Amino acid sequence: MLPSSTVENYLKAIYKGASTLTPPHRLLPMGQLASALGVVPGTATTMVKALAESGLVEYEPYSGVALTAAGHKLAALVLRRHRLVELFLVRLMGYAWDEVHDEAEQLEHVVSDRLIDRMDEMLGRPEVDPHGDPIPNADGQVKPQESQTLMTCPIGAPVRVTRVVDQDSAFLRFVDRHYLKPGAAIQVEERDPSADSVRVRGEGGRLITIGTRAASKLLVQVARTALLLLLAVVPALAQDPATPAARGPRTSLSGYMDFHYNKPEFADGSLDFHRFVLLVTHSFSDRIRFVSEIEIEHALVEGGEEKGELELEQAYVDFLLSRRFNVRAGMMLMPVGIINERHEPPVYYGVERPFVDTVIVPTTWFETGAGIHGEVGRGWRYRAFVTAPLNAAEFSADEGIREGKQKGSQANAGRVGTTGRLEYVGLRGLTAGASWWAGRSGFEFRPRFDVPATVAEADARYSRNRFEGRAQFAQVWIDNADLLNDALTRRVGVDPNIARVLRGFYVEGGYRFIEAARFGDVGAFVRYENFDTQYRMAGGGIALPQFDRDAWMMGATYWPDPDIAIKSDYTVVRNRSGFIQVPNSFNLGLGWWF
Amino acid sequence: MRHFSASLIVAATLAAQPAESPRQVVEITAERFVFTPSEVKTKAGTTLEIRLRSDDTAHGFHIVGTDVDLELPKRGKGVATVTFTPTAGRYTFECSQLCGAGHEFMRGVIVATE
Repeated sequence: MLPSSTVENYLKAIYKGASTLTPPHRLLPMGQLASALGVVPGTATTMVKALAESGLVEYEPYSGVALTAAGHKLAALVLRRHRLVELFLVRLMGYAWDEVHDEAEQLEHVVSDRLIDRMDEMLGRPEVDPHGDPIPNADGQVKPQESQTLMTCPIGAPVRVTRVVDQDSAFLRFVDRHYLKPGAAIQVEERDPSADSVRVRGEGGRLITIGTRAASKLLVQVARTALLLLLAVVPALAQDPATPAARGPRTSLSGYMDFHYNKPEFADGSLDFHRFVLLVTHSFSDRIRFVSEIEIEHALVEGGEEKGELELEQAYVDFLLSRRFNVRAGMMLMPVGIINERHEPPVYYGVERPFVDTVIVPTTWFETGAGIHGEVGRGWRYRAFVTAPLNAAEFSADEGIREGKQKGSQANAGRVGTTGRLEYVGLRGLTAGASWWAGRSGFEFRPRFDVPATVAEADARYSRNRFEGRAQFAQVWIDNADLLNDALTRRVGVDPNIARVLRGFYVEGGYRFIEAARFGDVGAFVRYENFDTQYRMAGGGIALPQFDRDAWMMGATYWPDPDIAIKSDYTVVRNRSGFIQVPNSFNLGLGWWF
Repeated sequence: MRHFSASLIVAATLAAQPAESPRQVVEITAERFVFTPSEVKTKAGTTLEIRLRSDDTAHGFHIVGTDVDLELPKRGKGVATVTFTPTAGRYTFECSQLCGAGHEFMRGVIVATE
């Protein structure tokens, strides 16, 4: 049978009363219990006898009462509910800390264990409530706290307030008014027994004199023993921008990985550790940062073999001068498309990246160069870089400009490319942007001729609650494609049939139909893509129908953790050719970020 | 350790603040690679109660030039709250936990006017 609220209140009062006893005393006098509950001793005795029969307390007539192990656990769980409810009301519902006690007194008896566990998880498994009272864990255990009161702590020693033991609203407001809430860094300057007062120096050097009764209700930790807390608590005082607190150098390591199983129709499946990426960053200061990203693709790199790749995808230094104007130099991601700058596996649906972000926008697209970036206000931000150009000698009919990336490897810089993006992020959930890349790419040919290449791209991504939609359009122009085809034909003996315009777009909708469940989130998506790497041909060229393609992709993603994605999808690609068909494929993927 | 454990965020939430100063609650959502809103306007001396929620991975929230630096729990794992009472000026805030390729773009500003 579930204990009634009266039983719970008795157990809680005995639990709290017992914490005030000093050894060798272990039994709480009945008078003290009755007083705490606001009942006459006879009533308390009758109830305690009933509790003793239930095995929840030990009762010794004329001596007092103590909790049994079972009673102790029940009482601790009532307090757990009470304190979590208080914290929830303050942190998530905007209650003041002096108005939550009464609400929690009611709710502690009615909220289910399941709801309490969810609240606990949502709050990040806190150890203390808004008043600093320890929150028992689900087994009813409490981490021991070492605290003194303002009446017993050393005079002159820096201490931090950890707990307020009186939950009376008026007293809590008094504490608030005098800047003595948990977290406040203070020190006792003087105790004056003749005046029953304690003088405290608070934050900002202000002096506060309080009564000894109030002082005995404030628990503190001496700074040396509370080092962790001292490091963690944020001094929420006004900061003087003229005297910034500079931070020392810091280095961070993160990464993401992507493991795939691809099974085309009528062919054997393949297992591919597609990406193993490590990011190392270093902050020389708040103003100067280094960011790098090293990727091993397809797990294996062998000299001269068409196998994996070891790539330095990012390695730049940012000089953060102001919000509006910052300078970046090194190996940088081109700011084109959704995926190129936002490609961690848990953030997009589907095992493989969209086709448009592969054969039209050559993701992952990185190059050496330098440029500027910043935010101009009202949600608008920009980036503009000068980079090494693409190498038109590597362009192809089926993959467009993809193989033309020089990747910062002794890149020819006789010509330069320019790239940039204007992006709007001013509405919650919306990111919309337009990007370009333009450069003269024919530097490898002799006699030299220009192959100006231009990429224009626009995209939008919108998420609201569980829904996420995204759309992207990209078009590539290759001027002098006819000259390029002639030059490549002379070089390799086969006309590469490179187009003068490539075009693609996709739209995608996804919905997390299970969210924040104990075991994670589950979402499903569908994506449609249309892309043609021979959308418009140069003079004399004939567009091959197999390069005019549509793709449907649908599937599901399971996130056991927001940083881990287990993905599946089924991909159907169709083209306009009556002879060359692309098999449908089933794909599984495991990707994670840390 | 630079970042706080979840329990210590509670302590940060409850850090001392002037009781009489006006209060303004600001809710900020973080996701790769943007804070929304990325611009917060207030009056100098107003106590900002900044409630931060992530829509994806764990992020950081650091107000440059101050000691404010806390970790935002991942999506669905809770809300981080911090109070901050600015004097007049502009305060850049940024993600202080590496969150992906575009991490360095994740910045915003608090503008406090007289």
